[in-house]
Amino acid sequence: MDRVSFRTQVLTRHLNNHHSTSTDLLHPATCLSYSPPELWEQPPDYDTKSLRKLLDRDSMEEIDYMFNLMIQSNLFCRRERGGKVFILPDFNQSMEQQREMTMRRIGYLREQGVFDGWLTRKGPDAELSGFTRANSCGVFDHSFGIKLGVHFFLWGGAIQFMGTKRHHDKWLKPTETYEVIGCFAMTELGHGSNVRGIETVTRYDASTGEFIINTPCESAQKYWIGGAANHATHAVVFSQLEIDGANQGVHAFIAQIRDKDGNMCQNVRIADCGHKIGLNGVDNGRIWFDNVRIPRENLLNSVADVSPEGQYLSAIKDPLQRFAAFMAPLTSGRVTIAASSMNTTKKGLATAVRYSLSRRAFSMKPNEPEVLLLDYPSHQRRLLPLIAKTYALSFASEYLKTIYVKRTPESIKTVHVVSSALKATLTWHSMRTLQDCREACGGQGLKTENHVGQLKSEYDVQLTFEGDNNVLMQQVSKALFMEFLAAKKRGKPIKGLGLEHLNKPSPIIPSNLTSSNLRTTQFQTDIFCLRERDLLHRFVTEVSQRQAQGESKEHIFTVTYQIAEDLGRAFSDRLVLQTFLDVEATVPAGSLKNVLALMRSMYTTIVMEEDLSFLRYGYLSTGNAAVVRKEVMRLCSELRPHALPLVSSFGIPDALLGPVGFDWIDANAWSSV
Amino acid sequence: MFLLLCFCKLFVTAVEMLTVVHWVKPGRTKSNHIQDIQNSDYPSSCCCDSRLILMAPTNQVLLKESSNVRTIILNRPKQLNALSLEMISRLSEVFHSYEEDPNVKLIIMKGEGRAFCAGGDVAAVVNDINKGSWKLGAFFFSKEFALNYFLATYTKPQVSLLRGIVMGGGAGVSIHGRFRVVTDNTVFAMPETALGLFPDVGASYYLSRLPGFFGEYVGLTGARLDGAEMLACGLATHFVPLEKLSLLEDALCKANSGDPKIISNIINGFSNKNPKLKEKSQYFRLKIIDRCFSRRTVEEIISALEKEADKSADDWILWTIQSLKKASPTSLKISLRSIREGRLQGVGQCLTREYRMVCTVMRGEFSRDFFEGCRALLLDKDKTPKWKPSKLELVGNDMVDRYFAALDDKDWKDLKLPARSSLPSYAISKL
Repeated sequence: MDRVSFRTQVLTRHLNNHHSTSTDLLHPATCLSYSPPELWEQPPDYDTKSLRKLLDRDSMEEIDYMFNLMIQSNLFCRRERGGKVFILPDFNQSMEQQREMTMRRIGYLREQGVFDGWLTRKGPDAELSGFTRANSCGVFDHSFGIKLGVHFFLWGGAIQFMGTKRHHDKWLKPTETYEVIGCFAMTELGHGSNVRGIETVTRYDASTGEFIINTPCESAQKYWIGGAANHATHAVVFSQLEIDGANQGVHAFIAQIRDKDGNMCQNVRIADCGHKIGLNGVDNGRIWFDNVRIPRENLLNSVADVSPEGQYLSAIKDPLQRFAAFMAPLTSGRVTIAASSMNTTKKGLATAVRYSLSRRAFSMKPNEPEVLLLDYPSHQRRLLPLIAKTYALSFASEYLKTIYVKRTPESIKTVHVVSSALKATLTWHSMRTLQDCREACGGQGLKTENHVGQLKSEYDVQLTFEGDNNVLMQQVSKALFMEFLAAKKRGKPIKGLGLEHLNKPSPIIPSNLTSSNLRTTQFQTDIFCLRERDLLHRFVTEVSQRQAQGESKEHIFTVTYQIAEDLGRAFSDRLVLQTFLDVEATVPAGSLKNVLALMRSMYTTIVMEEDLSFLRYGYLSTGNAAVVRKEVMRLCSELRPHALPLVSSFGIPDALLGPVGFDWIDANAWSSV
Repeated sequence: MFLLLCFCKLFVTAVEMLTVVHWVKPGRTKSNHIQDIQNSDYPSSCCCDSRLILMAPTNQVLLKESSNVRTIILNRPKQLNALSLEMISRLSEVFHSYEEDPNVKLIIMKGEGRAFCAGGDVAAVVNDINKGSWKLGAFFFSKEFALNYFLATYTKPQVSLLRGIVMGGGAGVSIHGRFRVVTDNTVFAMPETALGLFPDVGASYYLSRLPGFFGEYVGLTGARLDGAEMLACGLATHFVPLEKLSLLEDALCKANSGDPKIISNIINGFSNKNPKLKEKSQYFRLKIIDRCFSRRTVEEIISALEKEADKSADDWILWTIQSLKKASPTSLKISLRSIREGRLQGVGQCLTREYRMVCTVMRGEFSRDFFEGCRALLLDKDKTPKWKPSKLELVGNDMVDRYFAALDDKDWKDLKLPARSSLPSYAISKL
C-alpha cells in the first residue's frame, strides 16, 4: 500500500522532527523560539467572523468549500512546514509542468461538480457564485484562477452575452464539461487597448455560406491568447467584418482551432508566447488565421447578423454605438480582476503582518529582549495603512460585484465606469502592497515558498490586462466629463455615479484641522467630494477652453491626461469612501463598528497624505497637511492592537499563507531539511 | 447502592463484520460531582441533592507511578470506560498537575477491561437534562472540551494504548495526544450522527485532517475503523500487536524518558510497520470516498453515492448510503459543515465552535433529535428514531446557521479554553 507507507513516512518524519526536547549542554541557554502571536496579542472584543462576513458576505461558505477541496487534494502540492500543512504551486517547475498542473487541477474540480451550472444557471446568484469559484482558485494560484476565468468569463461570457440561443444551446453545456476548451482571441500584436484598431479581417462567402477569417499581416497575429498555446480547442475571434468591401467594424466569431486530440486545425497556425515573468501556468499563445472558413452561424449575432445571402443586418446603425453595445457585457473581466487583486493583497498582508508579530530585531537596552517588528512605529506605518486600505477597497470590490450582477440596461454605463476605476485602483494597491510586504518580510519574502515576493510577478499582469490602468483612469474622467456636460445640456441636476454632491454648494474645509476633525465622517466626505468636484470643474474648463480654441476633442483628451488621471483617482477614492460608509451603516454600534471607523479614518487620512493632488490644488494647506501626517502616526498606534484580528478576518486559511507567517524557526530547522 | 446498567446494542450491518456499539445508560450513577458542584460555574439551579448522597470515592480513574512515567487507567470497565463527569474532572486535574510536575516526563493512558473508552456518558447527560436543565449538559461538555483542548496542546508526550473500543469521547482523550498506539482488536468510530448528535470532542479538527475526504466519510456515516485502517489514515501513529502491548508499556516505563524521539524508537521496536489492511477494507475505497464525500452538500454526497451504486452496487456502498439515510438529517448537515469549517481552523476554534453546536443541540430549540436518538437507541431500544425535521431538504441553511452562532441566552458564554503558556503552531489558526 503506497498510501500506508507514505503516511508512515510522514508520521515518522513528523515525530522525529517535532519539538525535540533533548537538550545539549553545549548549546547556548537562550535561543530564539517562535511564539504564536495568538498567545499574547490581545484577543479582539468583536467577533472576527462577523468582520469577515462584511468582506465575503454570503459567499463565505462557498469560498471555504473551495479551500477545502484544494487543501485535501494532492494536486495542490501539500507540504508540511513547522507542524502545519501548506499548499502552494511549485514555481520551480518548468512552464510546461506548471501548465499541465493547472489543467489537472481544473480536471479535479470538474470531477467534483464545481463547474456544473456555471454558465447554464441564470441570475445574480449564479453569476456571483461563478466569481467566487474562480477567485477562490486564484487565491491558490493566479494561473489557476486566470485559466478558469478565460474559459468561463471570456469564452463562456462571449457566447452568453454576444451570442444568441443557437450559440447557447450548442456551446454552453460542453464548455461546463470541458469537452470544449475555449479561448478569447481579441488582442493582437499591434493592438491591445485599442480594440477597434485590430487588423484581422473576416469576409463572407455567400456561395458556401461561410465566413473566411484572415490574418493579413504579422501585426494582426492574435497575441497573449490565454489557453491558445496548449489546450484550447475553440476561440472567440475578434475581427473586422467586411461585407461587400464595406467595413462594418469589429465582430466576434467562433472558430475551432484544435481537434479533440489537440491537433491544430487546417489553416490555423499557433505559436507559444513563451516564458513569462509570472503566470506561467497559463499557456498564452499566438494565432494566425490563413483564410479559415467557418459556418455563417458562428457569428455571435446578438447585435448584428449577416443573412445567408450576405446582407448585413443590425438594429444599431452607428458602428461606434454598435461596438459599445457589443463590448458592454464584457466588464465581468474587470470585476473578477478587481476582486482577485484583493485576495492577493490579503494573502501578502496576512503573511507579512503575522511575520512582523513574531520576528524581533534590535534591543532598546542591552540584555533586553529584542523589539517586535510591528512595535516599531515605522513598521506600523509600512503595514497598517495597507490593512485599512485593503478593507476599504475590498468593500468597494464587493459593491462592484453587486452592481455588476444586478445590472440593467440603464445601469450598464455606471458598471462600466465603476469597474474601470476600481480595476485600476485595486490592482495598483495590490502591487504596491505586495512590494511593501515583500520588504517587510526581509529575505524570507524572497522565497517563493513564502508567496509574498513571487506574487508580485504572478499578479503584475493585472495592471495591464482588460485595459491598461492609466488608460482606464483617463476613460473614467472622460465619462465623468460627458455626464457633467449632458446634465448641463438638459439643464437638470446631475444624477448617478455618486456625483449628486455636485448639485450642492461646495463644502467648506476648516482652515485649521485637528485630529478630531480628521476623524469625522463629515470632514472625510467633504474633502473627498471637494477634490472630485474641483478636479471635474478644472477638467471641464480646460477641455472647453481648448475646444473654443478649435482643438479637436481627440487631441484635447490626449493632452489633458494629467488632470484626467488625478480626477480618475478622486472619483475612485470618493466612491470607495462611500461604499465604506454604506458597509459601516449596516453594523450595529459596538466594538466592531468602532474598529471599522478607525480603519475608515486611516483610509481617508492615508489617501490625503499620499495623493499629491490635495496639496497641489490646495485642498489641504501645508499646515493641514502636517496635521494629517501626524494623524497617520497616531492612527497607526491605535490600529496596532487590531493588526492580528484584522488580518485574520481576511479569511485566507493558514494553509494558503506563507509558512513565514507561522513557526518559521521550526519550518527552517535542520531536522526538516 | 447498585448500578442500573443497560447496554444498548446497535447492530450495524457492515460488510465485514457485525459490530456492536455499547452505549451506557445509567439510571443512577455513582458520580462524584462534589468538586464540580463546589465549582462556581456549575449551574446551581440544576444541582440535585441526590448526587450528594450518592458520592463515592473516586476509583473511575486509576493512576500508576513508575519513576518519571505516569499511567492513567480509565476504570469503569462495565460501562466500557464511558467518560462520566467525574472521570473528566479527575483527568483534567491529573493532567494539569502532571504538566506542572517536573518529575513527570511521560504519560501513558489506557483502559481497564475490553475497551479503551466507548465515549462520553451521554445517557447520563440526557438523564441530567431531563431532570434539570440543558445547562447541565452544557456543563458536562464544557469540561470535556476543555480537557480535549488541554490534551491537544499538552507539552509532555502522551502515549495512548488503544485496546478495543475507542469511540466519541474516547477518541477525544487520545487522538489529540502525541502517540496513538492501536492494536489487533481496536475499533474506532465517531457514531454521533446516528444518535442525533455530531462528531464532537475536537473531531472536526482531527477528522478534517485525514487524507482526502475520509474524515467526512468517517464522521457522517459513523463507519468503524480497525487498527490497520487507523494507522493508514493517520488517526494512529503506531500499530503494536496485542500480545506485545504490555511489553511496550514496561519498556516505556523502563526507559523513563520524555524525549519523543526515544519514545518513538521504543514503540517502533514493538510495532508492525505495515499491518495488512483486510481485503475488504474501506480504505481501499478512498477514490470513491473522495469523489462522493467531497461534494458540497449532504444531498449531493448521497446522490453521488447513489450514482456510484448504479455503476456497481456492493455491500459497502449500500451500507454507506443506508447509514446516511438512517442518521439524523440535522446531525448530518451540521456535522458536514463542522468538519468543513474545522479544516480551516485550529483545534481551539474547533472546540469553541463545537461547544456552540453542542449547547444548541442540548437546548433542543431547533431539533430534539439528540433526545429522540437517545430514546430510540438507548432507552426504548426500538432503533427507529423519528427524526424531526425528517428529511434533509427540510433542514434549511438558516437553521444550520443557528448551530454555529452564539447562543441567545444571557447566562450562556462561549467555551473558555484553559490558558496555555505555549502553543504549538498547529494548535492555532486564524479563521
